[in-house]
Amino acid sequence: MENFIESIAEILEEETVELSDELESFEAWDSLTVLSIIAICDSEYNVPLSAEEIESSGTILGLKELIQSKM
Amino acid sequence: MNLKFHNKKITGILTVLPENEVNFDDEIDNYDFSRGQSMKLKLIMGYGKRRVVKEGTTVSDLCIFGMNHLFDNNLLKKDDIDALILVTQSPDYFVPATSHIIQGKLDLKQDMILLDINQACSGYPIGLNQAFMLLEQDEVNKVVVLNADIMSRKVSVKDRGSRPITGDAAAITIVEKNPSDNIIYGTVNVDGTGADALIIPAGGFKMPSTPKTAEFETDSSGNSRALDHLVMKGDVVFNFVQKEVPPMIENLLDKAGNIKDEVDYYMFHQPNKFMLKKLADKMGVPYSKMPNNVVENFGNSSGVSIPTCITYNLGEKLMTDSYLICLAGFGAGLSWASLLMEMGNLDFCETIDYDN
Repeated sequence: MENFIESIAEILEEETVELSDELESFEAWDSLTVLSIIAICDSEYNVPLSAEEIESSGTILGLKELIQSKM
Repeated sequence: MNLKFHNKKITGILTVLPENEVNFDDEIDNYDFSRGQSMKLKLIMGYGKRRVVKEGTTVSDLCIFGMNHLFDNNLLKKDDIDALILVTQSPDYFVPATSHIIQGKLDLKQDMILLDINQACSGYPIGLNQAFMLLEQDEVNKVVVLNADIMSRKVSVKDRGSRPITGDAAAITIVEKNPSDNIIYGTVNVDGTGADALIIPAGGFKMPSTPKTAEFETDSSGNSRALDHLVMKGDVVFNFVQKEVPPMIENLLDKAGNIKDEVDYYMFHQPNKFMLKKLADKMGVPYSKMPNNVVENFGNSSGVSIPTCITYNLGEKLMTDSYLICLAGFGAGLSWASLLMEMGNLDFCETIDYDN
């Protein structure tokens, strides 16, 4: 998951993001962003995630741990 | 389930699009979008123009219009039709079957087989499978496969996930016996445990429509719809498609003894641009071989998006040339199906506008 932070930053349309950042705090956070995360988890990590799981993962760290738990 | 059909061919495809064109830009105010979100959706999902029926126009109207076009242009003779299959999830009535309405209004012969198939996004290959099977009968020489849906009538105007992509259409495909040897390969798979991923909860016998089922409720994503409306779990459908479709095609090609690159076109159901691009990426197929432009031009018309993709993108080329084409449908049910066949030298392959 070495490019995880970069990929998430790109999806969120930010230069950089921190693991402690709340997902919902980003201006770009919407259903399309969630879909983009579902897509990248499928293509990069072969992990199927639901929109609900992503939304309830809280922070970027929470999301990362969610993905790792399913790898 | 792997399928194999001998000595059958498609000889013509006609797509009928309703004349009412809706532009996403004109509908933006219905949804709770920022300008930026709208632009992103247009670009990524392919929200654009879509064709929908006017109130009162039904599946039988679209099919009858297309059939008459074929009769009037001497592309099909009434008496040659030995079977007519209608694949739809938006029938005119529960009783009788809509194929009978069509047969009656077109004054087709009585000595024929009529069959309605209740399938959605995978309905086109499933309808063709049925046609190939009917052609095994000695007296069945020509089968008309009608695939039509008008789901725009069942999508909430305040559902920003489904509404901007949903279109209506009908397609007529002629299937015949092939005097020269050929083999068509197919697959069908189902998973009824995913039935609620794409469902219209009310309106059937389980939950008849009442004033209560017409009441709007807003979900956590800000979409409002009633129980009478189509509801889709977008994330479940996305993951289902990405998980099941690539191995389905791999298996199909394996059974046929073909490799990916030998297929000229992957004419897939058109859920939205995003999902098709992700599928192409996952399968290692160039976008040029898997067109994804139906949603932005006409909308997602369920299974009819496959013949629409064929007539719109290949059109007359299929009347003079021949291509190895892989078809795939996937969606409500859940259901996913595919076909691999040489297609070409068709008598007709065109897209027309419905005009009442």
